[in-house]
Amino acid sequence: MTPSPLERRYARLGVLLIAPTIVVFSAVIVYPLIAAIYLSLFSIYTPTLEGEFVGVANYVELLSGTAFWSSLLTTLIWTVGTLTLQIVLGVAMALLLNENIWFRSLARSLVLFPYFLSTVVAVLVWKWLFNDLYGALNHGLMQLGIIDMPLDWLGTMPNAMIGVILVGAWKYFPFVVIAVLARLQTIPEPLYEAARIDGAGPIARFFDVTLPQLRSVLTVIILLRAIWDFKEFDLLYLLTGGGPVTSTQTLALLVYQEAFSLNRMGQASAYAVAMMLVMLVFMIVYIRRTNGREV
Amino acid sequence: MRIYRKLALTLFVWALVLLISFPLVWMVITSVKPQTELFRIPPTWVPETVTFEHYWKLLSETPFLTYFGNSVILSGSTTLFVVALATLGAYSLVRFRYRGRETLATLVLFTYLLPSVVLVIPLYLMMVALGLSNTLFSLVLAYTTFALPYALWLMRSFMDGVPEDLESAALVDGASRMGAFKDIIFPQLLPGIISTALFTFILAWNEYLYALVLVNSDASRPLTTGVMSMLISAFNIEWSLLMAASVMMSVPLIVIFAFLQSYLTSGFGGGAVKG
Repeated sequence: MTPSPLERRYARLGVLLIAPTIVVFSAVIVYPLIAAIYLSLFSIYTPTLEGEFVGVANYVELLSGTAFWSSLLTTLIWTVGTLTLQIVLGVAMALLLNENIWFRSLARSLVLFPYFLSTVVAVLVWKWLFNDLYGALNHGLMQLGIIDMPLDWLGTMPNAMIGVILVGAWKYFPFVVIAVLARLQTIPEPLYEAARIDGAGPIARFFDVTLPQLRSVLTVIILLRAIWDFKEFDLLYLLTGGGPVTSTQTLALLVYQEAFSLNRMGQASAYAVAMMLVMLVFMIVYIRRTNGREV
Repeated sequence: MRIYRKLALTLFVWALVLLISFPLVWMVITSVKPQTELFRIPPTWVPETVTFEHYWKLLSETPFLTYFGNSVILSGSTTLFVVALATLGAYSLVRFRYRGRETLATLVLFTYLLPSVVLVIPLYLMMVALGLSNTLFSLVLAYTTFALPYALWLMRSFMDGVPEDLESAALVDGASRMGAFKDIIFPQLLPGIISTALFTFILAWNEYLYALVLVNSDASRPLTTGVMSMLISAFNIEWSLLMAASVMMSVPLIVIFAFLQSYLTSGFGGGAVKG
């Protein structure tokens, strides 16, 4: 069937309305993306921006060197660690905040707030808490009798990794709370009543009713947060700067350091492209899921 | 029996809530402690003296207000630019039929997930080539890379919620598409536009990486990198000053947050969490 003149006119208007977006997209996203791949074939000295074509040499160095692989491992440790904490804390907190308690909406707001905070603020606050001499964390733990001596939180391993994972969990678990809480409110009450009649206790009800209902939303949350944690830059860069030495240097930090401290922009672009390729797997799974659901 | 359960649960949940908010409470407490009390071991959990000298010092002796102004201009213009584009774009993506529409929507989602470090190097080279480095305008352009996909995705889900038959009725009555948009859709979409704008504002307000790479002068530094440079430049770190800066920097967020309460679920998932 051929479209009517009116339909064709509407289609033209539709294209016209999206056109400004497409222009801006091409200029600030598509072009830089292609440029990043192109740059990864060059050797560029950052201060002068001069360079020469080197072909796949940057990728050869990436594959044969240790920097990329050890950063990838660090990124995976960070992502899995902080994501696990976020999910466990987030689901638990959402269940609690779904209960009928006094001042519930105030409690919800307070729990959600860290997510909206600037990472800069979160990092400054936690650096002060972690401070080895005057930090509240060490003194609090000592007064509670959990530790005898102040701990060096960010300067040694594995404390530094534990520290960033903790702060990451604190900053981002509210996202899980928001999403899970919204889903919890749509679980039909008769399901719980039926389980109760069947003699299921609270724990059985959680595993038999709540968890299956949450499964699909949790899959999406895990994918989304995995992508975001994987590419996290601000929090790690500001909290440890990748240190001590390179033990918390994730891929995002490696790219930045290579480009702006070691002044090797081409190599940095190669790292960035490789990082994106790793992420692409998660992205495609996520996009497939979201599209399949909405169509 | 019921009431005891509720009381116990309330106490338990609130203990956890206070534990989670402790870092922020500590930030406020630190910001009002005098310097002498700050370095006491062990720390005083409740301040003995309350002072606002650090806030005064922040406003009168540091470039804090310049940074603050820059952040307002930067986040404000990014938001206006992006939300205008996204509103029209979302209308087009949801209510019009043309080839490539689905692909475009997928592409938007893809860019929404893209890591900033991939784009930051080419964008840096681009701004240098255009002579825009060290300007707020370069940051507005750079912020578009994450704000536009985000706003577009969010606006799309708000657009989905506007009933289609009202528009159809207006069209049958002889209104043009844009006339129907202005009179019928826009008023219904307004709450969605406002919340998208506020969420976009928060994202721009909190951005760090682009500001770090693209701007290297105090005159056009936003708050995020500005406050961090205060940390680095100080000879000995003045924690109470930094905590005062953190509080001040979070005030606009608290205001917006209070306003956004009812939109929280649809907002920060980017409309992307649909289980």
